Amino acid sequence: MKLVGNVKFISTVLASAMVLFGLHSNAIAGHHEGMDVPSIKSSVVMSGLENPWDMAFLPDGTMFYTEKCKGLSVRTTGGKVHALYGMKGSKGYKSSGKDLFCDGQAGMLGVVADRNFASNRTLYVYSTSNKYYGSGCKTNFEKCDGNIVMKFKVAKNLKSVSGRTDIVKDIQYKPFKSDQPFGGPGAHNGGRIRIGPGGYLWVGTGDRHRGICPQDNSLLCGVVLRIDGDGNAHPDNNPPAGSDKRIYTYGHRNVQGIDFRPSDGRAFTAEHGPWHNDEITALVNGGNGGWDPAQKRGGRSACPDEYCGYEPNQMEGMDPAVRAAYTPMSDTRFKDLMPPAWNNNGFSQGTGSAAFLKGSNWGIWEGRLTAGIMGIAFGDTPAGSRIDIYDIAADGLSIKTVTRMPLGFSKRFRGLVMGPDNALYTATDEGEIYKITAN
Amino acid sequence: MGGEFIIKFTRGLFLLFLLYFSGYSWGGDKVAGEARYKKTCINCHGPAGKGAASYPKISGREISYVTSKLETYRDGIEIGPNSGLMIMMAKPLTDEEIANLAAYLKDAKYTN
Repeated sequence: MKLVGNVKFISTVLASAMVLFGLHSNAIAGHHEGMDVPSIKSSVVMSGLENPWDMAFLPDGTMFYTEKCKGLSVRTTGGKVHALYGMKGSKGYKSSGKDLFCDGQAGMLGVVADRNFASNRTLYVYSTSNKYYGSGCKTNFEKCDGNIVMKFKVAKNLKSVSGRTDIVKDIQYKPFKSDQPFGGPGAHNGGRIRIGPGGYLWVGTGDRHRGICPQDNSLLCGVVLRIDGDGNAHPDNNPPAGSDKRIYTYGHRNVQGIDFRPSDGRAFTAEHGPWHNDEITALVNGGNGGWDPAQKRGGRSACPDEYCGYEPNQMEGMDPAVRAAYTPMSDTRFKDLMPPAWNNNGFSQGTGSAAFLKGSNWGIWEGRLTAGIMGIAFGDTPAGSRIDIYDIAADGLSIKTVTRMPLGFSKRFRGLVMGPDNALYTATDEGEIYKITAN
Repeated sequence: MGGEFIIKFTRGLFLLFLLYFSGYSWGGDKVAGEARYKKTCINCHGPAGKGAASYPKISGREISYVTSKLETYRDGIEIGPNSGLMIMMAKPLTDEEIANLAAYLKDAKYTN
């Protein structure tokens, strides 16, 4: 009886408070919904850039960024831009590397700051370089050490970098054109780098249109590396026997996106499919992405320039499912296959960079993965340039939902990274860097 | 006197004619070209032909240049590393569509 009296009293007080503050139950429900599904806004942070590819933030909002054929720059919190390290022929940079160049998809690509940047001022950058060609690179069918990861010290005033050290010198590069639809030099060049759990550096590479690459673990192509800040293998990497120990996973086509799930630190990659099956994949130490474009394997015969990645009938549009059956993105022949969580319903639309959304401002999307899509509308596939938001199952083997980021416009979203302000930043091929906020 | 007037009048008419058509691209419809460009070309070459990623800038080119390239691709002739893709894209283009695209791209400008 006393309990009932207390409940009545509390209810009366709550009801009075709701009337007093103009609230009612529907308003509370509406407010709740508003908190869960965020309101999205976007603004241009920079424009007029030339192929901006990737960004890296410091905790105070300082933003380093790369332009594929120009070099590395930084935008300070006050909005000033300093051109730090250019490529061969670049103008206006404080210093430059004459060995650095761009061609096709290759150039200065990924950038990321060391976990201990505040004390060591260290920045990592992925770029194409001819410094370590040696006696290789004379044809497309031999070793070509044409991509590197560099380490720099950034000056305290953010106006220069120094002490370049090349910590990885043998990522493979495609030096000449070949008989493929996108057959120019620099194809499938990888390039995304990120800092993962424990401060280790993760490096995504591409198959560089060489058929044997993804399943040949003596070469760094079509693999994901996990290394320390000096380029040494993580001691727990577990690739198959005889592999380069820097390899965390292999059997990839062209890793353009890597990020780590905030809830458990698990690595996920985003990859662009070969006119079928873009993929989001949860990585397993030593696992196989299942991409094997080599000729005379998996029931295939000879292919143009020994690469079956666009077969069969590589110069004509055809049913993506037929291509997928001929050269699968995730070939179930492999017992160590890492099945994808998402395959874009069998379509290829240019899935690239990826970033997990962090911060309660993202509401129900907090902790979900985003990926930038850069479709070219080949063979009746919708172009669909967009940013997707994936709710990935805990085991990483499927998605629960995929939602399109409600931006109100389409661009080729090349680079995605979270800022320290819990905003998502994206570089577009059109030359802008956008800030996307959620409230 | 009458003859001189006729000559001056004819010159004036000719100048007016030139001024009126100075922004016009003979043989191509820019508006139709822009519409066609936005159907497929924009996905690789970016807005207003500014170029994107490894796909080159194609705006600001002479009409004869774009026309010649598209006709060459349409004939199935390779002229660069992305020829395979361009041949597929150019195959269905009509003469009129090529003329319209060339007219549009000559002066197309990207503004964010």
